[in-house]
Amino acid sequence: MSPVPLLAFEAIEKSFGAVRALRGVSFELRAGEVHALLGENGAGKSTLIKVATGAHAPDAGTLVVAGERLARLDPAAAKAHGIACIYQQPALFPDLTVAENLALRLEPAGGWRRVRWGERRRRAEALLRQAGAHVPPDREVRELSMPEQQLVEMAGALGAGARIVLMDEPTASLTQPEQERLFAAVRALKASGVGIIYISHRLDEIFALADRVTVLRDGATVGSRTAAELDEPDLIRLMVGREVDRLYPPPAAPAGEVVLDVRGLGCAAAGVHDVSFTVHAGEVFALAGLVGAGRTELARVLFGLTPADAGEVRLQGERVALGSPRAAMAAGLAYVPEDRRRHGVVPELPVAQNLTLAAHRAIFPGGWLRAGPEQRCAAELIARLDIRPAEPAAPVTSLSGGNQQKVALGRWLATNPRVLILDEPTQGVDVGAKGEIHRRIRELAAGGLAVILISSDLPEVLGMGDRIGVMRGGTLREILTGGTPAPAVMAAALGRAGKGAA
Amino acid sequence: MTRGAELIRAGWRRHEVRLLAVLVAEWLVFYYCGTSVNRHGVVVGFGTLERQGDILRHSCEIGLLALVLTPVILTAGIDLSVGSLLGLCAVVFGQLWHDAGLSVGAAAALTLVAGALAGGLNAGLIAGLRLPPLIVTLGTYSLFRGLAEALTRGAVTYTDFPAGFLALGQDRALGLPVQAWAFLAVAAAVWVLVHRTMTGRAFRVIGFSPEGARYAGLPVRRTLALAYVLAGVVAALAALIYTARIGQAKADAGTGYELSAIAAVVLGGTSIFGGRGSVTGTLLGVAAIAVLQNGLATIPVVIRLNAAGEIAGLLTGALLLGALSAEAAAKVLSQLRRRRQSAPGPNPVAP
Repeated sequence: MSPVPLLAFEAIEKSFGAVRALRGVSFELRAGEVHALLGENGAGKSTLIKVATGAHAPDAGTLVVAGERLARLDPAAAKAHGIACIYQQPALFPDLTVAENLALRLEPAGGWRRVRWGERRRRAEALLRQAGAHVPPDREVRELSMPEQQLVEMAGALGAGARIVLMDEPTASLTQPEQERLFAAVRALKASGVGIIYISHRLDEIFALADRVTVLRDGATVGSRTAAELDEPDLIRLMVGREVDRLYPPPAAPAGEVVLDVRGLGCAAAGVHDVSFTVHAGEVFALAGLVGAGRTELARVLFGLTPADAGEVRLQGERVALGSPRAAMAAGLAYVPEDRRRHGVVPELPVAQNLTLAAHRAIFPGGWLRAGPEQRCAAELIARLDIRPAEPAAPVTSLSGGNQQKVALGRWLATNPRVLILDEPTQGVDVGAKGEIHRRIRELAAGGLAVILISSDLPEVLGMGDRIGVMRGGTLREILTGGTPAPAVMAAALGRAGKGAA
Repeated sequence: MTRGAELIRAGWRRHEVRLLAVLVAEWLVFYYCGTSVNRHGVVVGFGTLERQGDILRHSCEIGLLALVLTPVILTAGIDLSVGSLLGLCAVVFGQLWHDAGLSVGAAAALTLVAGALAGGLNAGLIAGLRLPPLIVTLGTYSLFRGLAEALTRGAVTYTDFPAGFLALGQDRALGLPVQAWAFLAVAAAVWVLVHRTMTGRAFRVIGFSPEGARYAGLPVRRTLALAYVLAGVVAALAALIYTARIGQAKADAGTGYELSAIAAVVLGGTSIFGGRGSVTGTLLGVAAIAVLQNGLATIPVVIRLNAAGEIAGLLTGALLLGALSAEAAAKVLSQLRRRRQSAPGPNPVAP
């Protein structure tokens, strides 16, 4: 039997309102291993990291750190137990030097303590060497590259006596040589007996670095395996795992004429390039891809929020310029954004005012507010979408997530759009409301609307999409037919030739 | 609870109603303390109709600035330059009439255009270049005042305006000071703009969430620009009224008016963070400050101390801070009460 694990999760559960983010996660991290944590978007990886660093208290389950059972953990206790986390975006002070940043982490606080600059410098040098960073300690952090900053973070973790290091997608913004240096540092850390939990979407990294792999799916552990006994198709199958098990409403009618025709669309500022696709009336075109693949960015380009600098867009055969949201609206586009509270609704305004905000030109001719038409429009949308409570004067803040989403959707239905772009419409929405939103989307498509559905939820993409566009690296890589099995979609999103995986 | 009591309770929750109560209380205090009968048996002081007309007359300029600052502050913006712009427009008007020899009407019209252009400068920098309103208008605050002083070389004062023009600031029409009618007209127009048009709603949406406004397809830049240009035009109108009331146009006209106007808007319940507020509130805020400042000068003990200005400043500050603190304290208390009531249960909001 192996020695006592450094860190063990035992049946950890965590819910946010109605959303069960973690529903029983168990696995062990051993000393001197790199343990990869894999899963789709929303499988619960980030929540688990937050539980381990004490940022979230679990609802149920236990953490065992070096044999010690801990009922709960706060960030200070996590630090004391030698748990450190290195995020994708290093949390350093850019205007301070490397040595000062490390000192802030490591020296006890106290307004009247003397600063020993020499000691600071020497310690920083030693720690940076240990972390494999060739960075002068008196350089300002803003001058460092992203991987250098990550190495400084790692030096900080070492200096704090970290025995357990969590790394959340550390390579997401790194180039190939930068990655190599980070990997060397990770290996050196591992050799010194530190246990590392490593989260990444890049399968080649997993095979290059990890000793063992744990796969999370829907907030539960699917299983832990040694990396050597797995290959890519196995991993993808573990991540996706299931058939489309929820009931999705079937497409009502065959798709009609082409409504939206996008050719070679690009926008350098948004990081989107060379995107071409068509969407038909009555069709749900699902956009799949990993976080950061450029799906929301593409939607923002289409809606004129970051106007395109290349390519063209035709709506029902007619070329349209989408230079601003107003132009996009006038052309018949509607966009229900991902960040509901910041962009989708104005939370402080009443439901009725939110519902009439986009269609105000039709409802208030000449710009004069009129209570009658506003109430009629609001009442109709509240009834049509079954918004609860059916209270047009209530501020949107008082509604649940699912009902806020219906308000964000209703605002755009009032404009009678031809193309509806939905960005993560069911994120943070409980299961019941989710099914209801899916039915609405189908109804809308059946009414002749062309729907673009952006979703990180693979079953949703598979269940709702008549065709599935897969984005990766800011462009549309593949368009798959509706019946494509989940592992093939996942493989396309990951950029692996894993279509035989199913 | 009876229906009447319910109505009173519901009304009391409105900021405007409470402010109205403060205003009435102020008025009653000054009426009883500031009204007296002199040696000749004539009623003098606060309680005379003449005095009430004076209060109205003296609050028109700051009142106009407060009215047009309401849309600006609703968008979560600020305009510190309106007081300086008042001075600049007064000087511009004096020069156009006296030096350029234009008729009073033409000079006044051109002064309004100058106000619009100056407001347009703020609008261009804030809505066009997206610079922060506080910094932009801090800059134009100095710029406009400096320009006014440069135009007059710091010394020239324009006087001897024709009686027809001075009537705007010194006569009465239909029982009210002439400028009060201009003030009421602007108040009605701003009220309609803020409360009855889509542009007014756009001010609020921008104040609550500028990004949300953009995502809803609202014309964010155009709406912001309108608020600042409007402030410029009305500051020019206030400059004309000021010049007519004082009978002279000089570079230091309206010094510090922007702060009094902002105080009135905030006292009127408009949130400095944007989104919330009303024109009615601003009118009550202007009235509460005007009655306080003018009423003090009628109380015998204040007259004896010869310190009406100082005490007025002190009390205005206390009134503003008191009103804001009372609102905030009430909010904290009601939150505490709600938390205590819902403490045993889980999250109150059902999904």
